[in-house]
Amino acid sequence: MIQMFHVYKAFGKDLEALVDVNLHIHKGEFVFLAGSSGAGKSTLLRLIFRDELPTSGHILVNGRNIVRMKPRAVPHLRRTLGIVFQDFKLLRDRSVEENLALVARVVGMPTVEGQRRVAQLLKLVGLSHKAKTPPYKLSGGEQQRVAIARALMNDPLILLADEPTGNLDPELATDVTRLLLEVNARGTTVLVATHDLKLAQEAGRRTVFLKQGKIVEESH
Amino acid sequence: MPEKLKHIFAHALINLVRAGWGGLASIATIGVSFVIIGIFLLLILHFNALVAEWKEQFQVSVFLDDKITPTQLEILGKRIQNEAAVKAIAFTTKEEALVTFRRELRGQESLLEGLGDNPLPASFQLKIREGYQSPDALRRLSAFLSRLEGVEDVQYGQDWIERISNAARIMKLLGIMIGSVLTLGSAMIVSNTIRLAVYARAAEIEIMRLVGATKAYVRAPFVLEGMLQGSLGALLALGLLFAAYRFVAPTFNLVSPIFQAAGDRGFLESSMMAGLVGGGAVIGALGSVMAVGRFLRV
Repeated sequence: MIQMFHVYKAFGKDLEALVDVNLHIHKGEFVFLAGSSGAGKSTLLRLIFRDELPTSGHILVNGRNIVRMKPRAVPHLRRTLGIVFQDFKLLRDRSVEENLALVARVVGMPTVEGQRRVAQLLKLVGLSHKAKTPPYKLSGGEQQRVAIARALMNDPLILLADEPTGNLDPELATDVTRLLLEVNARGTTVLVATHDLKLAQEAGRRTVFLKQGKIVEESH
Repeated sequence: MPEKLKHIFAHALINLVRAGWGGLASIATIGVSFVIIGIFLLLILHFNALVAEWKEQFQVSVFLDDKITPTQLEILGKRIQNEAAVKAIAFTTKEEALVTFRRELRGQESLLEGLGDNPLPASFQLKIREGYQSPDALRRLSAFLSRLEGVEDVQYGQDWIERISNAARIMKLLGIMIGSVLTLGSAMIVSNTIRLAVYARAAEIEIMRLVGATKAYVRAPFVLEGMLQGSLGALLALGLLFAAYRFVAPTFNLVSPIFQAAGDRGFLESSMMAGLVGGGAVIGALGSVMAVGRFLRV
């Protein structure tokens, strides 16, 4: 599903964010990408949704080489992905359901189907009662769940989550992890970047450790 | 697709309203630019109409020797008529010339009292075919006519026509130059207004891009907003121009004395008005593409 071959990424001359990364994530897998901040987790995720291009190496997503992909094709790649951002990236001036509906509109989903999907996902993340609320009136955990729901709007093949539990207290973090595992159980491949090693260990899933841009260890 | 269109239109309108004074300022600026462009257009139109009218009325006068005999007159008339350049020919007797002259001098007939005999010559008035109205052709025709027996003098007002034509050409050139500068300026102002709108929606644009919106999809509402601003500005300009043309100019007698011949001409033709509004839309679209393009590249 996601394959990386000898991927290097440097910012400028001195900053090597990723060094010779080889990574294979299979369909339906749930993988933690663990490492301290600055280890290159976010960069690795951004390479996958082609927000950045690698300095060298190749990346295959759903069998397509996204390094050679034309810029025109990038929107179509992103429509197969769901992305949960570290800072949520929710629109303050829209309600929760409008934030979700934005995705439906962008991908050209008919309104009725979009509404159905919004209701379905809000139910999944347990926020049906907050549909009309603007995100800034929600707690951090709730905002994170909205962000996850939005990432699932287009029924993605792959869900990428960058520090989805970063700003949450341990109890809420476990909740969010449970939600991500549930999403994975429905067939979506999930890749979660986290600095919280304990969380990864508790979940008992494959964990890839990044240190200074290199993959140093893998555990199952 | 229709839903996408609905979204694009809705957003363009919302943005236009959100742009508030900025939007109004950009519409007004385009309006002012287009008023100036429109004034040039009107001037050029009227000058051209004037030139056409004068060319239509243009004639060569062939003044005849007083001593010409009726036979000579007949031969001369036929000869002139056979010239390729001559479209029509009319004869004015000495008496008719005097009557016309008297009419033109109305109120000051006393000037004529001391003249005694009628000093005015008889003449032929020639209408000239379109292709023979160039200064060279007229000079040749004039030289030829002057040599004919019984002809005393040949007169035509070609230099006047040339001067008016030149004025119209200069006006056109000036109009194009000033018009281009104003057009560029208008596009930049729209670009600035739209850029503010783009920045205001930076977060939304970023999210849209990350969830798979195409560039065209992100760009469309802004381009439409620019087009709206541009065409509204052009419409405003047309309204102002029309009001000035219909109500202000006649009151101060601005149009008729200079453009008597073209005085009954209407306002700009509808195709030109459509062109101006379309031009406004294009300028607005260009401005928006400049504004959004820079943003989307990042």
